[in-house]
Amino acid sequence: MSTTSTSLEPLFSILSQTYSTLETTFYKLPGSAVVARYVKSSHQNDPGRTLLEIILILFAIRTLLQSRTRADNSGKHFVQFDEKEIDDLIDDWTPEPLAAPLSAKEQAELTNSPVIVGATGPKPKLSNGKTVTNLASYNFTGLAGNERVKERTIECLVKYGLGSCGPPGFYGTQDVHMQLEQDIADFLGTEAAIIYAQAFATISSVIPAFCKRGDIIVADRGVNFAIQKGLQISRSTIRWYDHNDMKSLEQVLENIEKERRKKKGPLTRRFIVTEGIFDHDGVMSDLPKLVELKLKYKYRLILDESVSFGSVGRTGRGLTELYNVPASQVDMLVGSLANGLTACGGFCAGTNIVVNHQRINGTSFVFSAAMPPLLSVAASEGINILRNTPSILSTLQENTRAVRAIFDKVDCISVPSHPASPMIHLHVRLPSPTHLLPMVPASPALSSSGKPSNPHSPIPRDPEVFDGDLEERILQDVVDEALAQGVMITRAKRLPGQELVEVRPSVRIAITAALSKKDCEKAANVVKAAFIKVVGKRR
Amino acid sequence: MPSPMAIQSASPTPSMFRKKSTPALNTAASYLSAVSEADARARAHGSTPSSTPALSLSSSVTSSSEDTVLHELDDETDNGLAYPKVPPTSEQIFTTVHTEFGHCANDAYRHTSQYNTEHPVKSVQEQDPPYYILLTTYISYIVVIFFGHLRDFFGKRLKAAEYRHLLAHDGYAALNSDFDSFYTRRLKLRIDDCFSHPVTGVPGRTIMLLDRHSANYNKTQILSGTRTRGLNVSSYNYLGFAQSKGGCTDASVECIKRYGLSACGSRREGATLDLHVQGEALVARFLGTEDALISSMGFATNSTIIPALVSKGCLVISDELNHASIRFGVRLSGANVRMFKHNNMKALESLLREVISQGQPKTHRPWKKILVIVEGLYSMEGTLVKLPEILELKKKYKFYVFVDEAHSVGALGPHGRGICDYYGINPSQIDILMGTFTKSFGAAGGYIAGSKQIVDRLRLTGHSGAYAEAMAPPIVTQVIASMASLMGITLSNVEKSSSSRSLLPRHSDGPLQLVNTSECAAYPGTAASSALPPWMPLPQSMCDGSDSSMRLRRLAFNSRYLNRALRKLGFITYGHDDSPVIPLLLFNPGKMAVFSRLMRARATPIVVVVVAYPATPLVTSRVRFCLSASHTKEDIDTILQACDEIGDLLDLKQGAGERWPLHEIMARAVELVKMDVCP
Repeated sequence: MSTTSTSLEPLFSILSQTYSTLETTFYKLPGSAVVARYVKSSHQNDPGRTLLEIILILFAIRTLLQSRTRADNSGKHFVQFDEKEIDDLIDDWTPEPLAAPLSAKEQAELTNSPVIVGATGPKPKLSNGKTVTNLASYNFTGLAGNERVKERTIECLVKYGLGSCGPPGFYGTQDVHMQLEQDIADFLGTEAAIIYAQAFATISSVIPAFCKRGDIIVADRGVNFAIQKGLQISRSTIRWYDHNDMKSLEQVLENIEKERRKKKGPLTRRFIVTEGIFDHDGVMSDLPKLVELKLKYKYRLILDESVSFGSVGRTGRGLTELYNVPASQVDMLVGSLANGLTACGGFCAGTNIVVNHQRINGTSFVFSAAMPPLLSVAASEGINILRNTPSILSTLQENTRAVRAIFDKVDCISVPSHPASPMIHLHVRLPSPTHLLPMVPASPALSSSGKPSNPHSPIPRDPEVFDGDLEERILQDVVDEALAQGVMITRAKRLPGQELVEVRPSVRIAITAALSKKDCEKAANVVKAAFIKVVGKRR
Repeated sequence: MPSPMAIQSASPTPSMFRKKSTPALNTAASYLSAVSEADARARAHGSTPSSTPALSLSSSVTSSSEDTVLHELDDETDNGLAYPKVPPTSEQIFTTVHTEFGHCANDAYRHTSQYNTEHPVKSVQEQDPPYYILLTTYISYIVVIFFGHLRDFFGKRLKAAEYRHLLAHDGYAALNSDFDSFYTRRLKLRIDDCFSHPVTGVPGRTIMLLDRHSANYNKTQILSGTRTRGLNVSSYNYLGFAQSKGGCTDASVECIKRYGLSACGSRREGATLDLHVQGEALVARFLGTEDALISSMGFATNSTIIPALVSKGCLVISDELNHASIRFGVRLSGANVRMFKHNNMKALESLLREVISQGQPKTHRPWKKILVIVEGLYSMEGTLVKLPEILELKKKYKFYVFVDEAHSVGALGPHGRGICDYYGINPSQIDILMGTFTKSFGAAGGYIAGSKQIVDRLRLTGHSGAYAEAMAPPIVTQVIASMASLMGITLSNVEKSSSSRSLLPRHSDGPLQLVNTSECAAYPGTAASSALPPWMPLPQSMCDGSDSSMRLRRLAFNSRYLNRALRKLGFITYGHDDSPVIPLLLFNPGKMAVFSRLMRARATPIVVVVVAYPATPLVTSRVRFCLSASHTKEDIDTILQACDEIGDLLDLKQGAGERWPLHEIMARAVELVKMDVCP
C-alpha cells in the first residue's frame, strides 16, 4: 500500500506543480479575475448549478458547430445502411423523366397562337401572309410603333448601346432609369418610384420585400398568378376574401382584429393585396372603399395596376385617376410598363421609404440586370405622350364602349369585366338545358347560402361551376373562327394545375386606341358571329 | 478671367488623391498629329488598301480613326482613357470607339479559353489570410456594430422623428423594423458612395460616372452635374458587345425602325414574333441543343422555369453559392432542397448517396427526380464548376443536371459557347442549359436550352410563356446579331449565287476556322444566313467570325493575365485562372470603401465593384474585377499599377507563393499567360 503511494508521489507532485503554474498563468491573463469571480459566485457551493452551466455551454457549442444544411442523420427517421445496401438502392432507383412528353392536346395548345411577321400593332401580318385586326395584344394606348417613341429610342441606342450590363447596385443605374422613375412618380403623384426589368417579376418581388413570416396579408381570391407567387414566397399568414367583395373584405378584417384583441399578440405588419383591374376577368376594384377600409383597420394597401395603369383614367394614370383618389393613399402602387406604355418592365410607386426599402430588399431588383436604357426611354416618352394627349384615352374608352355594346347583347356570351375596362373577358354561356351547366351570373354574387367563405382557404364557399375542358374547346374554336375571318383574338392562357383556384376559361380581348371605332365594331361583330356560329353548331 | 475652355477642362472633383500625371497623347491635337504622321509613313511605303481588314458593308460603320476616338469631345480628356497610348499605324484600322472597345492590334495579346486535359489548370487553393487580418476584421465589425447600436440607442431618444418609420406608430407596425434594417443603416450606409453609382452612356471599356456627393453622411446623394470617365472593370460586358457603334447596334436600330419597341403581351397570348422564333432557333444552334426558349428577364428565367421542372416529391441539390434567382425558383417549386459545399464533389457524392438511399423525409418513398443545379461560372468567386466530375457522378446516380450559364456563356470556351465548350463536353449530356443575354451579349433576358421535349414542356408550363411580356424586338435583334457573329455566318445555297452579303475568306485573326460549310451541321457550327432576319445588316468582319474570334481571344488573354499577375503581385484572389471574374480579397470591411475610392480618385480613374456580406461570407469582403474583351493590355497594366500601389498602402499583399515585381509582370505578360501552370 505504502509502496504504491510512494511510487505515485512524483506524479502527484508534478500534477500539483502544473496546477499551480496553470493557476498563476491564468491569473496573469487580463480579465481572468472577473471570470474567476463569476465562476465562484455562480458556483455558490452548489455543484448542481455548475454542472448545469457546463451542460449549457456544451450545448451552445454543439449548436454553433452544427451545420445548418445537414439533415437529421441522428434523427429518428434516419435509416442506417451499409455501403453495399446504398449501392443497391442507388441501382434500383429510377427517376421520372424530367419532362413528360406533350399530349396531343398540349401540343395543339402550344401551336395555336399565331406568329406575327414583322411589327405588331393594330393590323399585323401573320406568318400565313394574312393581315388581321389585332384584338389580342396589349396595346391599349396604341403606342406600339409610335414614330416619336422610335426616334427617341434610336437616339438613346446610339448613345448608350443596348444592354445595361449590370445590376442597378453595381453601375447599372443609368441616368435614363432615374429619369423614368422620376417621370412615373410625377405622373402618378407619389414621392418616388422604382423600376423592375420585367412586369411579371415586379409584384412577386415587391410582396416578399415587405411581407415576412408572421405578417398578415388579406388578399382577394381572384388575384393574378404573379401575386399568388409573391404571396407564396412571402411566407406570411394569408387570409382570403371573396373576389372583389368589399363586404367580405370588411368581415375578414373585422375577424382578424377580433382575433388579435383576444390573443393580445404583438403588432404585426398587415397588408391588403388586390388588383386594380383583375387580370383574370377584368373586374374593377372599388378603390375608394378599399382605401376607407385600409385606413379604418390600419392596413397597408398593395395595389397591382398592371392592367389598369395606362388604360383607364382621363390620361391613363389608372384607378387613382379614375376614382380621383390621391395615389399617396395607395402604399405600394405596382404597375406594368409593358401593357400600358408598350415598353417593358414594371414599377412600384410609393413613398421614399417604400421605394428605398426595395432598392435593397426587392429580390428581382437587386439580383437582376437593370432594364436596357432604350426601354426606359420608351416608357418615359410614353408617359410624355399620354400626359399631352388625353384624346388617346378618350378614344380608347369610346372603342371599349362600342365593343361592349355589341358583346353585352349576345346570348351565348357573358362578360364579367367592368364596362370601363379595355381588357374584356368573354365567357361562353351555354343555353342548352340538356347540359349540366347552370346559368352563371355575370358578376360573382355573394354566396347563395349566405354563409361567408373560409378565409383560410383561397377556394370560395360556392365556387363557380363550369366544364373547363368543354368551354376551352369551344373558345378555341371561336378564336380559330375569328382568325379565319381576319380578327386575331386569344384565349386567356392559364397554367392548369398551378393556379390556386381554377379560372373559368375565357377569350381575352384587348381594345386599342390605335383602331378606329368602326374597325373595332367590325372586329367585335366578327367575334360575335364566331361565338354564335360555334355555339350554334354545338346545339 | 479664365477662358471657357479652361472651365470645361477643369477637373470636376479635385481630389487629394489625384495625381498630376500627364499621360502621352492626352489631347486630341497630339493624337491627330500622331495619326497623320503614321499615315504619311505608311503612304511613303506604298501599302495597298487590300490589307485593311475592315471592309464594311454597313454604311454607318466608319473606318476613320478620327471617328473612333473623338467620340465625345466635351468629355474630360486628361485621364488618358480617350486615346490609345500608342497611335495606330495606317495598317491598323479600328472600327470601334476606343472608349467603348479598346484598340489593340498586337496579336500576341491573345489567348484561347480552353480546358487543357494534359495540364489542367486548377482553381487556386483558397488561401487564408494571416490571423491578425482575421482578428482585425472581426474587431472592425464589432466596432461598427457597437457604435451602430449606441447611435440607435441615443437616436431613438434624442431624435425620435428620424426613427419614426422604424418603429410602430399610429397602430401600424414598422414597415422595416430598426432591428431588420440595422445592417443597412449602420454598416452599408457608411460606404454607400461605393454602391448604386449612377452612370450614363455605354458601359463598355470605360464608363461615365455622374459625380455625386452627400451632405448628410450618405443618407441622400446629390448629383453635382459633372461627369467622370473611368476605366470600367465592373460591368458584365465580357465580349465587349456593349457598344453604341458597330454591327449589333446598327442591326438593333434597323429593328426598331421595322418592328418598333414592343411585342405587346405574352408569348402565348399573341405576342410571338418571327424574330422570337428565329432567335430561339439560333440559340439552340449556338448551344448545340435540340431546342431553346427565350425569356425577357434573366432573373425570371430561373424563377419561373424551375417551378415547372420540379415539384413536391422532387429533390433539388443546389450548390451553396447558387444565385438568388435559383433559390427563388426552387422555393416557388415546393421541392425539397439540399445544399452541398461549394464545388466540392466529394460532398456532392456523399449527399447523393444519403438522399437516394434515404428517400423522401419521413415517408422514405423514393424521390420522383433529383435535379442538381450548379452554375457554370460563379460570379462572386470566379470558380468554374467541375462539370466533367459531375457528369461522371450523373452516370452512376441518375440525377438531372441544370447548369446556369449566366456568366459563362460567351465568356468561356474557344468558341464562346460556354462551359461545355470550355471542357469539350457534348452539350447533349446536360439536361438543361440556362443562361442570360445580359452579360456576354450586351442585351437582356435569358434562355433555357435542352431537348425538344423538355423545352416544349417548359414553354407550356413555365410561368413566363403565359404571363410575362415577350422579349422586346430590338433586344432579340442584339442577341441574334451578337450570337450570329460569334458563330460566323455561312451562306445557304440559294444565296450563294446572288449574294447580298459578299463573304470573303476570314482574316488572319486566329487559328479557328469558323467558316466552313461542311462543319455546318456539327457543334460548334456556324449560323446559316437563311436563319437570320434578311434585313439585318452585319459588317463583313462580323459575318466571317474574325471580329468575334478577336473578342474571344482578347478576353481569354485579359482574364488570365490579370488573374495571374495579381497573384504574382502577392494578392489573395479566388477562382480559376481562365475566369473573367476575378475577386481580390480585402477582408477588412473598411478597406472596401477605401479601395473603391482610391481607385476612383486616380489620375486614370478605375471603376470597381466591392462586395461584402451578405453577398459573401462575413470575413471575405472583396473587390471584384470583371474583365472584358474591350480592355487592352495597357488597361490591365493600368489596373495592376493601381492595385500594386493601393495594395501596399492597404497591406493587401498577403498571398503565398513566388512574387514578381510589377515591371517584370508587365514585360513578361505573354509568357505569364502562355504558361500551362502558373508557377
